Amino acid sequence: MTLILKNIGRRYGKSWVLRNLFLEIKDGECLALLGPSGCGKSTTLRLIAGLDIPDEGSIYINGRDLKNVSPSKRNIGMVFQSYALFPHLSIASNLTIGLKVRGATESEQHQKVSSILTLMKLEDLAYRKPAQLSGGQRQRVALARALLRDPEVYLLDEPMSNLDAQLRESLRPEIRSLILQGQKPVVYVTHDQQEAMAMANKIAVMQKGNVEQIGTPNELYNSPASIFVASFIGRPQINLLPPESGIIKGIRPEDIIINENGINSKIIYQEWLGSSKLIMLDTPIGELRMITSSNDQIPECPKISWDIKNEHRFELTTHKRLN
Amino acid sequence: MIGLLILPAALLIILIFGTPLIRYIWLSFHASSVITGLVPIANKGANWQRLINDQRFWQDSFQTFRFAALSVSLELFIALAIALLLNQKWRGRNLVRAITLLPWALPTTVMALGWRWIFNTPYGPIELIVNLIGLDQFNILSNPNTAWLATVLGDVWKTTPFIALILLAGLQTIPQDLYEAFKLEGGSNKEALFKITIPMLKPYILLSILFRLAQAFGVFDLIQVMTGGGPAGSTESLAIYAYLNAMRFLDFGYSSTIMIGSFILIVFSSIFSIYLFNKFKNIQGYSR
Repeated sequence: MTLILKNIGRRYGKSWVLRNLFLEIKDGECLALLGPSGCGKSTTLRLIAGLDIPDEGSIYINGRDLKNVSPSKRNIGMVFQSYALFPHLSIASNLTIGLKVRGATESEQHQKVSSILTLMKLEDLAYRKPAQLSGGQRQRVALARALLRDPEVYLLDEPMSNLDAQLRESLRPEIRSLILQGQKPVVYVTHDQQEAMAMANKIAVMQKGNVEQIGTPNELYNSPASIFVASFIGRPQINLLPPESGIIKGIRPEDIIINENGINSKIIYQEWLGSSKLIMLDTPIGELRMITSSNDQIPECPKISWDIKNEHRFELTTHKRLN
Repeated sequence: MIGLLILPAALLIILIFGTPLIRYIWLSFHASSVITGLVPIANKGANWQRLINDQRFWQDSFQTFRFAALSVSLELFIALAIALLLNQKWRGRNLVRAITLLPWALPTTVMALGWRWIFNTPYGPIELIVNLIGLDQFNILSNPNTAWLATVLGDVWKTTPFIALILLAGLQTIPQDLYEAFKLEGGSNKEALFKITIPMLKPYILLSILFRLAQAFGVFDLIQVMTGGGPAGSTESLAIYAYLNAMRFLDFGYSSTIMIGSFILIVFSSIFSIYLFNKFKNIQGYSR
């Protein structure tokens, strides 16, 4: 099974929020749409769900053209950023309501809901209202509802952005295994590059309605296709050197090394990150970020350099990758 | 300490609402009319005895309940339809919203006069239309069986916008993504109305019922202007009966008894409404 987006375009008034979008997501594949707010990632999701209609192009699930197919007939399981749980219904009813409108028999409803409640460890909360649940618990209910739908495609719209960092990290593997078990295409929208790299096996970095690059997390990190991707992926951010004969060079902070024959620099400040530390250096070619092990003794004025093969080179005018 | 701080406000409320109430209760146990020279003379509950045996009081209670029940339920249905319509996005919606509110902004006396003329026989437009399609005279306002329906119509016309506004405010608190989630679950628009919209509007619906019931029980100006309580007392409300006793018959003692009597009836129906309201109060607000 595959989800295919072909030449999708969407505009509001005269401005295009999405243009020339091609995506293909296979079974069991999780594609993260990553980008700053306003890049069109949520619009893409809404177009797939049918909550918004594209002005150009077509969307196919398993070869079926979704044009003129209403959202209720698309068989899509979506987790909303707000979770979109029905506040007037208990958790059990929140899960049952979909089965009911899809015409499941009473015994089927009961059996399916109780098994998903067990799977998601929500049995004790079955008769509570969403408002009586914590953020993490609500998130599980929203996920349970999507799983219960047994959809052809999963869409997750910033599913963890309302949770605190610790909870987010502990939920990641759980969501990953649950969703990927389904062997269905998954589209995961996030603005958190760490989350994208943890959850997805493919990431599409988007900016201003365009896909800048699609690739595995590894590809995006090691050979970013543009300056935007290079600076969006990786924390602390990549160092961009001043342009030199039409070329902008980028060096990851961890690729900068101490070298007696290197260029002069002076430490401006340091940030402790635990096992490593971030050092801000003032150099003749501008300020540079450097990451070293926190055990390393760095002199006040270190001489630094980097391996030439770790350089990322970009064209000055197009911002595209050269090497 | 906190009790002390709310004391001024509490005193003010007791002064404004409590004093007249206590005065009326006191007066309802006294004869105070032209006969007594408007001097209150205690009569050991004779007023209450009279009230319980007063056919006209019970007839008016029935008419007031009938008026309130029909107009409030009609208003609720129409207001819900209007609110749903005004909650959709379409061109000119804001203009229609403003126009919808106009009847509410009009003074009751003015609009009641308008309705009286609309129903006037033989000069009103209703009679004109009835004549045009070749029917006999309609005489709505002079028929005891139909006059109260005309007053209900006037009330519905005037107060529907108010309820529509409350319900519209309620509709706007329902997040759009609930509808989207419901659609993706496979639900239709019609199912969304009964499974999401109306259940989530319940607190607002009950609030409107509470407001409007209390208001409709005390209806006075609309009926006074449209029918004056007639024909044959068929549209007379409790408020009009109390007014007649005080202002026409100058029997303040009995008028107070009627008012306290209808007050008790209103309190009981309000308590019943609050009970309903509380039953649904545990519907929690939506939060992220």
